[in-house]
Formats: sequence, C-alpha cells, structure tokens
Amino acid sequence: MPFSNKIDEWIKEAETRPESALMIVKLIAKRLHDLTERNEELLAENIALQNGTRVEEYQKRIVHLEYQLDLLKRRFGTDDVTLVEPTVHSAESSILKMLTYNANGRILRIEVDPNTQSLGHIKNDMINDREPPRLLGVPSNEEVLLLFTSGRVSALAVSDIPSLEAGDAWSWEQAALPDEPRAGEFLACIMPLSHLPLSDFFLQVSRRGCVKKTMTSMAQPILANHYLGKGAVQKSDQAFDLTLCKPKEHFAFVTQEGHLLGLDVDGLSYSAEERIRLTATDFVVASFLTRSDESLLFVTQTGKVIVRESNNLELSKSPLAKGQALISPARLEQGVRFIGAASVQDMDRIAVLDATGSLTVHLAEAMTGAGSIEAGGVILSIGLIPAEAGKGPNP
Amino acid sequence: MTLKVGIDFGTSNSGVAVYDGQRVKLLPVDPKNVLPEVIKTILYVTRDYRSSIGQDAVEAYYRDNVNRQRRYVKQWAGEIDVRGADMHYVRDIYVYVDELKPGRLLQYLKTALRKPEYQGTQIFERYYTVGDLAQTYLSLLKRRAEDILGDSIHAVTLGRPVKFSETPEQDHKAEDTLRQAAHEVGFKEVDFELEPIAAALNYEQSITKPQNVLIFDFGGGTLDIAIMRLGDPHQRKVFASGGVDIAGSDFDRAIIEKRMLSHFGYGRVKYHPEILEMIHAIPDWMALPELGTPINRNILEKAIHSGIAPVRLKALQGLIYNDLAFTFYNRVEAGKIALSSDGATIISLDDKDIALWELYTRHQFETDIQHYLIDVEKVLLDTIAVSGLEPKEIDAVVKTGGSSNIPLFTEMLTRIFGAEKVKASNTFSSVVAGLAIKAGM
Repeated sequence: MPFSNKIDEWIKEAETRPESALMIVKLIAKRLHDLTERNEELLAENIALQNGTRVEEYQKRIVHLEYQLDLLKRRFGTDDVTLVEPTVHSAESSILKMLTYNANGRILRIEVDPNTQSLGHIKNDMINDREPPRLLGVPSNEEVLLLFTSGRVSALAVSDIPSLEAGDAWSWEQAALPDEPRAGEFLACIMPLSHLPLSDFFLQVSRRGCVKKTMTSMAQPILANHYLGKGAVQKSDQAFDLTLCKPKEHFAFVTQEGHLLGLDVDGLSYSAEERIRLTATDFVVASFLTRSDESLLFVTQTGKVIVRESNNLELSKSPLAKGQALISPARLEQGVRFIGAASVQDMDRIAVLDATGSLTVHLAEAMTGAGSIEAGGVILSIGLIPAEAGKGPNP
Repeated sequence: MTLKVGIDFGTSNSGVAVYDGQRVKLLPVDPKNVLPEVIKTILYVTRDYRSSIGQDAVEAYYRDNVNRQRRYVKQWAGEIDVRGADMHYVRDIYVYVDELKPGRLLQYLKTALRKPEYQGTQIFERYYTVGDLAQTYLSLLKRRAEDILGDSIHAVTLGRPVKFSETPEQDHKAEDTLRQAAHEVGFKEVDFELEPIAAALNYEQSITKPQNVLIFDFGGGTLDIAIMRLGDPHQRKVFASGGVDIAGSDFDRAIIEKRMLSHFGYGRVKYHPEILEMIHAIPDWMALPELGTPINRNILEKAIHSGIAPVRLKALQGLIYNDLAFTFYNRVEAGKIALSSDGATIISLDDKDIALWELYTRHQFETDIQHYLIDVEKVLLDTIAVSGLEPKEIDAVVKTGGSSNIPLFTEMLTRIFGAEKVKASNTFSSVVAGLAIKAGM
C-alpha cells in the first residue's frame, strides 16, 4: 500500500473521531523523535567509516582474533582447529597434574591419581622458606603463564616440565627451573592460560590488596615483551596473583588476618588501585573469581575450614574498604590466620601442603562437612583442583 | 464430598471456577498473569517432555527460544514407493530437523479440536494426538485448581461452543475427544454446557425479574449466540442458539494480511515464488515456525545479497530464524485490543534485524474486518429469526468474550437492539462462572 494511502486513512480516522487526531499526532511525533536519534547514530557511524576510525577498530579486532586463534592452535597442538580435534587430545588432557612451585621458580609437576589421597612428600624444610610453596591443578596439555614479582611474565607449556610419579618423596633440587628468577625478583604465581581467548581481562592482585585490570586484547604485546607489570602502588608491595576474567564476573580476595573483599570486575580500574585498608602485618593470601552456585572455603593454618555461600559476598564499591571480617578479634589474638581460600563446588578437590612436606588431596564436600582438614603439621598452602579439570580440553 | 468445578477451555484463554450455592469463586490458576483468574490456553512441551501452561509456558518459551542457536540435521522420514508401467523403485525421504530445538509451543488447542484435517503433531520423538494435547493441558490446569482448593476434583462441567464444526460428525468427534481427555486426567464425571448458556446462567444471578436475553459470546475462536428466557430457574428456556467460525484469531490474521506483509517484502518481491510462499505463510501461526529450514535461509541470503528488498527480507529472516513469530502475533493482538478503547495504536516489533512500526487506526481496522461484520450480523439475525422473537422483544443483550469489546460489533448490537439493552459482562470470566453454576446445580 502506498504511504500516501496510509496518510489518507489516518486523516479519515481523525475526521471520523476527532479525539483520535491528538493521539495520532503524539504517536507520529514520538516516532519522529526516535528516528531522529537513530539518524544521528547512523550519521556518527558514517563519519567513523569515512575517516577510517571504524576500519582501524576492526583491524585491531582482527589482529586480536588471529592471536586468539593462534593460542587455540597451540593449545590443541594443531594447525587446523576443528571441532573434531579436541576429542583426539581428550585422553591426554584427562591426565591431571599438580604444579607445586616455590618463590625461587622451582616447579614440581606431579601426576594426580583421582583415587589417591596422598600425592607424595617434599623433603626440604619449608617452614623457613621466604614464601610457602603454592599449588595449582592443571591438565597436562595446559599452557601456563609465570608472573614474577617484578611484573615480568613468561609462558610455558605444562608438558615441558618433567613429570614426577605420585607417592614419591622429592626435594626442590629435583624440581624444574624453566625460567630462573632474575636478581631481586621471585616467582609470584602461575596462571593457566587456556582460557585467554575466551576472557576479556587479566586481573592482578598484589600482596597489599592493589587490584589492576588489563585487557586481554593486549596479550600479544604483553607476551612478546614479557612484561605485564607489578600491579602495585607502593614500592615495597609486590605482585601476588593473576587470573583471567570476563565482564560482569565477581572477584574476591582474602587476607591472612581474615578479611574478605568482593569486587565487581566491571568496576575495577585499568591502573593499579589499592582496594582494601590493611593493618601493617596483614597481606593477601588468596584471590579467586566467584560464581553464584559455589561456596567460599577458607582454611586456617591449623586446618580449620570455614565455609560461606558465595551469594553472601558483599561487593565493595568504595575505593578503600575494610572487607568482611571472618576471624573474630579473640581468635586473631590467639594467632588464628588464613593460609588460603577458594571458591568451590562440592565435587572439587583441594590439594593441601603441610609443614612436614606432605602433599594430600581432599574432596571439598568432605572438607566442608568435617569442618577441618587432618594434616601432619601446620598447613602452608592449598590449591584448587576443579571437578571438571582433566575431563576434557577445557578445564 | 464430590468436588465439581466449571472449566472454560477457551481458544485463547481458559479458567476454572467453583460454585458453593451462594457465590462463584474464580480460581487464580495463573498467578503470573495480569488477571490471575485467566490462564492463556498455551502449552509448552520441552525436549524432555516437561509441560507447562499459561504464563509459565510463555516464559519458558521466551527463555529457551528467542535468538537461540539452531542446528539442522538431515533425518530419514520415510520412503515413497514409485510405480510405473515397467518400473518400480523406492525413494527415501529426508527432512531437516533442528536438533537444538528446546521445546514446542502450542496454542489454539481448541481450534485444533474442530479441524478434521488436524489429527495431531509430532513433538520430538512422540506423536501427540489432539486428545493428548487437550489432556496434557487439562491435567496441568486440574492440578493447579486442586492445589488452590486443597482437595481432589472429581467432576467437571466443561464449556463448549454452540458449534465446534458445521458438520455434526466433526462436532460430536470434537466433544468426544474433549470428554475423553477430561476422563483421562481423572475427572470421573464430565458434562458439557454451551458457552453462551453458561454466560447466561451467570447473568441470571444479577437480574430480579424474568427477561428474554441474548448472549453474544465473541471470543478468540468462535462467535456463539444464545437467546434464552432467564430470571426464573424453573422456567428457563432456550429459544435458539447459533454460532459461526469467526472470532479474534481471524481479525489478527486480517491485520497481518492487510497491514504487516509489506514489512516483510510483500509488494516488493515479485518473481521469487519460494520467497512469496514464505511471506504468505506469515499469517498462519502453524506454518511460520516450520519455515526455518536451511534451504529457506539460503534462498533469503541469496536474495538479500542480490539486493532484492534487502531490509524487508532481512526482517523476514529475523522473524523466522530468531523465533519471533509468537512475539509478533502477540504484538498484533495487543494492537487490536488497544483499538477497542483508542482511536489509534502502534504495532511494533524491534529486534536485531526488524524495525517494524505501523500506526494503525480504528478506521483502518474496521475497514479490514468489514466483511466479517456482514457475516456476524447475518448469523445474529438468523438466530433471532429461529427464536421466533423480534429484536424489540429481547430485553437484554449480554456481551462476553474479548472480541465482543470491538466497537464495530458493539455499534452493530446498539443499532439493532438500542444502546440501553446492550450490557457488558466480565469479558473473560462470565462463561467460566456460568459453568461453575451449572456444575453446582
């Protein structure tokens, strides 16, 4: 129907029922307003297309996508990423490895048997180490990123670290040293890299609670230059942990003296920003992303387990918050401290390293049920082994 | 004690009510609906055969389907025996099936009862007959009513149109199918009442002296008319009843055919029969969801690429492949309802590839459905003639059903009977209230 006929029909309506005329005018005026706004958006888009801004933006996006594709190819060990390919490697990826690493850059790669509770024993005296060793469960075909306290990074394939049989006793001298820390720096953390193509940000947290967000579209220059940054404001502070995240996710970190701080990823700054007020002796001992269907699990040095629903996590908006206190002042005075925390589901497992050097694995459900972990000595570190880790190419 | 309820199993909306001898209680069977006593006659069945009705069904459908992914696989559907004079061969037939389809939304279940050509439908691996569909819906409705009443319901009075079908065989078949479905869901006693007579019983509660009453029940699927003597329960008399297969869904279809098709390429696409076939299928709510095949997508992609009405065909593609059909029909229906009170309204649909905007006036609507007015007036006058009464002998004309609010038909009733005789009753609940009264008798 020609548009002029429609206008005739609207006029006819106005003639038949004069009260409709006002409504027709209002509806047309609203439409005109909407169309004017839309037109302005299109004109702006047109300008961006003509002056090349949009082209540059798409070129950057293409470079980023190519880089992500390259990462996926490396992850699946093929030049042809196909839908069939991951299943070929699923058998290998199902072999779960526990990386135990210390601040000196030594990494032990231990095979994890799903049915075994005891993984083995580290012979060295660890209580006198500068930092307690840290634990990370990864599939064998994973690629990891090493972050040093200086802000230096280096990528490494897990398969490049020699594997050790579970159940043995090892010393740090036997451990691999894939990238020796340079003068004045220590290995801060190891982060699995496989989710990089699916993530939007690197999220760094420092020992004193500074948080910094970096876009993963910058991953190529970061890896090429081997530098991500310390993510700290004060000179004495140093990098502690690194994770990959997406917009709208929730991030939390926990301090040794029992303060929990929840943050909305979208609200975080791209420059390092101090987010928590800590006492002189306090420092961050764990950081993680939370999901609504998970529980937050906190472990003290004596093996006591505290559980909170992740729904109860309060997201802090203020730049310098105190965080939720999870250890009462009386307990603090008695010397109770957190050594680690994680966001877990019931079927996840937790690796525990105690001061005797014993490395054991516990089911999260059993830990939360019992309220404590039995260990041979003071607990030094815990590490999360997600239930789905090792089941497929996307742990 | 045997608990007996009245159920109005309507084309667009349904309801359940119970009568305690004093007053009718309409049960809030759909708490999520704007009117909790009214529940949409919509059934949603998921791939794992979980069913929901009413607003729950609508929400589940939107949650699972809109802008979802599709993956078509070729599936063997059967074979055709081809025989000639000196040859014989068997040919396999394949269909494309969307294996990611999470569920099926079914509406107008009552219309399916009266269509002889519609036997049932395949829902994933199971075949649901028309009776199975009615049974699934009634079963969930009964459970909701029992939860509200806190007691088991053993008997029901179901409403039925004056004519399910023009042919007596199909009419009986439709009633038998509905009766069987009601028995299957656990109603031990099932009886029927004509919907306009049920509305009359409800109206009778409000009058103090005997009257000749014409019930004009104009809903989503049919127009039902009954002329009765009411006011004295001992001297109730049905003078005549009649009906015609015209109602709300026909008006929606008329709006789509006359005003909406141009937004999807009608008038601009001329020499592409496959695309024209898709455009002509838009008013058919059963055919539109079936258009989403890979072949049709290719046809549309090619046409868009060649510059044949690209914006409109992109909108058609969005309508089909983003599962927007249900939203689209709802918008058209909402526009139609708005014109019962306003002189003009907007029918719009804004999505990724669609920017539909249509200013639609009452004048346009009345022009579009003018031919239905003639049919409706004819049925009305025929029914009055059969009753042996003159229009002036009818004391009250009671309107019920959503379509009875359309001003064109109100004006027709006013013209024939006089404005003072035309009375509005509760649009959606007068039938179910009357059914509950009948059940309580």
